[in-house]
Amino acid sequence: MTAILVVDEPENPLRRAALVEGKNDFASVTNIIAGVAEKRTPKGWYLMFGCAIALLLNLGAMIGYLVFNGIGVWGNNIPVGWGWPIVNFVFWIGIGHAGTLISAILFLFRQKWRTSINRASEAMTIFAVMAAGIFPAIHVGRIWVIYWVFPLPNQMSLWPNFKSPLLWDVFAVSTYFTISALFWFVGLIPDLATFRDRAMKAGRTVAAKAYGVFAFGWHGSNRHWIHYEKAYLILAALSTPLVLSVHSIVSFDFAVSLLPGWHTTIFPPYFVAGAIFSGFGMVITLMVPARQWLGLHELITLNHLDNIAKILLLTGTMVGYAYGMEFFIAWYSGVEYEQFCFINRATGPYWWAYWIMVTCNVVSPQFFWIRSIRRNPMALFVISIFVNIGMWFERFVITVSSLNRDFMPSSWGYFSPTLIDVLTYVGSFGLFFTFFLLFCRFLPILAISEVKGVMPEANPHHGGHHGASNGGHH
Amino acid sequence: MTATAHMTAPSLQQLAPTIVPKVKDGDLATAQLGALVLGAALIGGAWATGGERFYFSYLVGYMGVLGICLGALFFTMVQHITRAGWGICVRRLAENIMGALPLMALLFVPIYVGFDHLFHHWVHPDPNDHLVAGKSAWLNKNFFVARIVIYFAIWIAMAFFFRRASLQQDENGDPAVSLRLSRVAAPGLLLFALSVTFAAFDWIMSLDPHWFSTIFGLTYFAGAYMAFFAFTILMAKWLGKRGYLRGAITVEHYHDLGKLMFAFVVFWTYTNFSQYMLIWYANLPEETRWFADRAEGGWGAIGTLLVFGHFFIPFGFLMSRHVKRNGVTLSIGAILLLVVHCFDMQFLILPTAGSHEQGPAEHGAGHVANAAEAVETGIARFTHDFGTYLHGVHWADFGCFVGLFFVLVGATLWNVRRANLVPLRDPRLAEALHFQNF
Repeated sequence: MTAILVVDEPENPLRRAALVEGKNDFASVTNIIAGVAEKRTPKGWYLMFGCAIALLLNLGAMIGYLVFNGIGVWGNNIPVGWGWPIVNFVFWIGIGHAGTLISAILFLFRQKWRTSINRASEAMTIFAVMAAGIFPAIHVGRIWVIYWVFPLPNQMSLWPNFKSPLLWDVFAVSTYFTISALFWFVGLIPDLATFRDRAMKAGRTVAAKAYGVFAFGWHGSNRHWIHYEKAYLILAALSTPLVLSVHSIVSFDFAVSLLPGWHTTIFPPYFVAGAIFSGFGMVITLMVPARQWLGLHELITLNHLDNIAKILLLTGTMVGYAYGMEFFIAWYSGVEYEQFCFINRATGPYWWAYWIMVTCNVVSPQFFWIRSIRRNPMALFVISIFVNIGMWFERFVITVSSLNRDFMPSSWGYFSPTLIDVLTYVGSFGLFFTFFLLFCRFLPILAISEVKGVMPEANPHHGGHHGASNGGHH
Repeated sequence: MTATAHMTAPSLQQLAPTIVPKVKDGDLATAQLGALVLGAALIGGAWATGGERFYFSYLVGYMGVLGICLGALFFTMVQHITRAGWGICVRRLAENIMGALPLMALLFVPIYVGFDHLFHHWVHPDPNDHLVAGKSAWLNKNFFVARIVIYFAIWIAMAFFFRRASLQQDENGDPAVSLRLSRVAAPGLLLFALSVTFAAFDWIMSLDPHWFSTIFGLTYFAGAYMAFFAFTILMAKWLGKRGYLRGAITVEHYHDLGKLMFAFVVFWTYTNFSQYMLIWYANLPEETRWFADRAEGGWGAIGTLLVFGHFFIPFGFLMSRHVKRNGVTLSIGAILLLVVHCFDMQFLILPTAGSHEQGPAEHGAGHVANAAEAVETGIARFTHDFGTYLHGVHWADFGCFVGLFFVLVGATLWNVRRANLVPLRDPRLAEALHFQNF
């Protein structure tokens, strides 16, 4: 890639690498980030937005077609009663895990490098959860009574099954969406105020009004900041268990069953690791081009990409550990159904899906052992695409390969998706990208105030004498 | 600016001249000897009075205390791989704890001696048991022993490597050492994860060779790492009382150690809940059997005790910032968690020892009319079960744990007395000394 403005220095343990590179101060950071939204809309944005809207319309059409005709338009049928919709649901909800991990867990771990990627990742999380929520909702068939999933008192005394993980999903996902959206919004407030003030100065009154409504009258007083930071910490603490609980509960959808390949105790942490893996994969897929096109090299540095690559290596290897444990215990258990299931996954009719999964999820991140690959945006982007593909196939393998060969060979069958399946899935990308592109265009895509907080100027001892290696307080 | 090789880190002397760098000659020797003698006496007493049961009691203590050493190794590697600045001084204590791993290898001997008793389900299997026969490729004595050697070779080599390099950095102040260790920590953690998983499978899960659980390695690790934090907090507090580590491990570091201990209380619960809930829900006899064994013979009371003692009580207790920043309350939390860690190991290991009388099944309390009655029935059952447990438990089931705990205290002190108390010239030492929680 061209235009890499930063020098790729070797690491020096005596001092912490600067999180913001180049000759930047507070004002220039604001200018870079606010500039993205204030400049004239680039032509490329219209092009991408047009494509996204087209896909979104297609999603709407597919859902309309489904509602009129029933879920028979999909490939789901006995023995594979759960097909692409559940695969897509788990795929999207998994992607929605990076944002909260970055904003909550990395925050509690005092990982200051998270400040330049947390905003966009949180936005990505929210849009991914929206895309995810569509699939189980339309899967119920009679979407007009979807509110029955909530335990609402009614004259028929009908209640959802509280023992069903599908109901736990309703609570888990809606809680997750609420908290993530709140967290994202609370973080946005000071930056929206910045946007408001700049719009006002530039004479763009409509924009100033619009940003002003959501900035809640923020003017950066001491009291505002004290409340803001308390709220941020509390939301971080609330979000932390959610990072684990949501995908654990999604894994229960499978693991509480009796089905070989679904029922295994490692599923909850394995799903969480996979979710973080896929989420960070999508962060790379989105941030590498954004960094390039929007000129954010000095804020999202090679060190940031390096760190994300390391997280991909870690979580990809954890997923590999889970694959290994499943296989080992399937053999060790001595249960012939378990053994058959795993042999069938690797060598049966869906062998190709299994090996795509293993190659993309376990093999491809191993390239990140090499530092120069971790710091090569192009290589990162390519591998992140493999990660996205691999994690979709993981859910496909789990769902379909466990179902397609039933306990009775007489009811074995081969699942194929229909065109409607494919177009609905593709359409969900339209929803995701429509929102993400709007976000990139109109909102601060980096957390301005937080990035400033990790610059040396923000340190009260800046410029003073404070120890020989005053590399910032980590 | 590639001059890392030419620059050296400032020393403790420059940064904080008031911190005592080393244990005074001869100091703590009595404590070290006392701990070792007390530990040996308890283990010896357990051996003398335990009979065949001793081996199971010993395994309880051994897996509990080994987990602390493995936790120390894990902590050290995680500190390096994350380039952590806050925990430099705590890391030296962890290095001294994991320095006991060679001794732990030696202390494996009683388990090897009791091998036929401990693992008799698969060493002398029922000839009609085709399930166990099918596992003989994994569960056979030769391969089993080979794996013991492999696990300890990995752990001792890693502990030796990380500790020695850190001690050398005290002398040469070379920042490149930190870089090298952070690189080695990555494959080190991979080896650690695999070896600890299979060691947990081998030494605990295979006691009942019919049972299996893919999450089992993780559940063992979660409890062990929590116990490491409890042990480290207590050791550091005790050394602080003796005048050491003052200014090096401060209330800020205890606060962080408390947070991590709290986190692994929750993580232990998460893994154990995942295991229990999924097995309960699917209700497959080949899996539920293991928990059924733990509902008999009074073990149901210990299961309940773990739910409260290993989760609800420490969760509520350690949540507050004040509790974690107060030396007394944090130590109480740490002691509580070490005690429940011993119960946890008993719960995993002893029900397969088969020494508990199988009382008549106490299930089916009948229809419970209301919440108050449910609580009353629950308490009555707990009291009854706990009585059964006390009737069957041997003092050595605690004695070995406490004995090995003191052996580890002695071994740690042995290392503490011979090394500098903090990494004198770690490049991030200044960060650790100035560290503050927000």
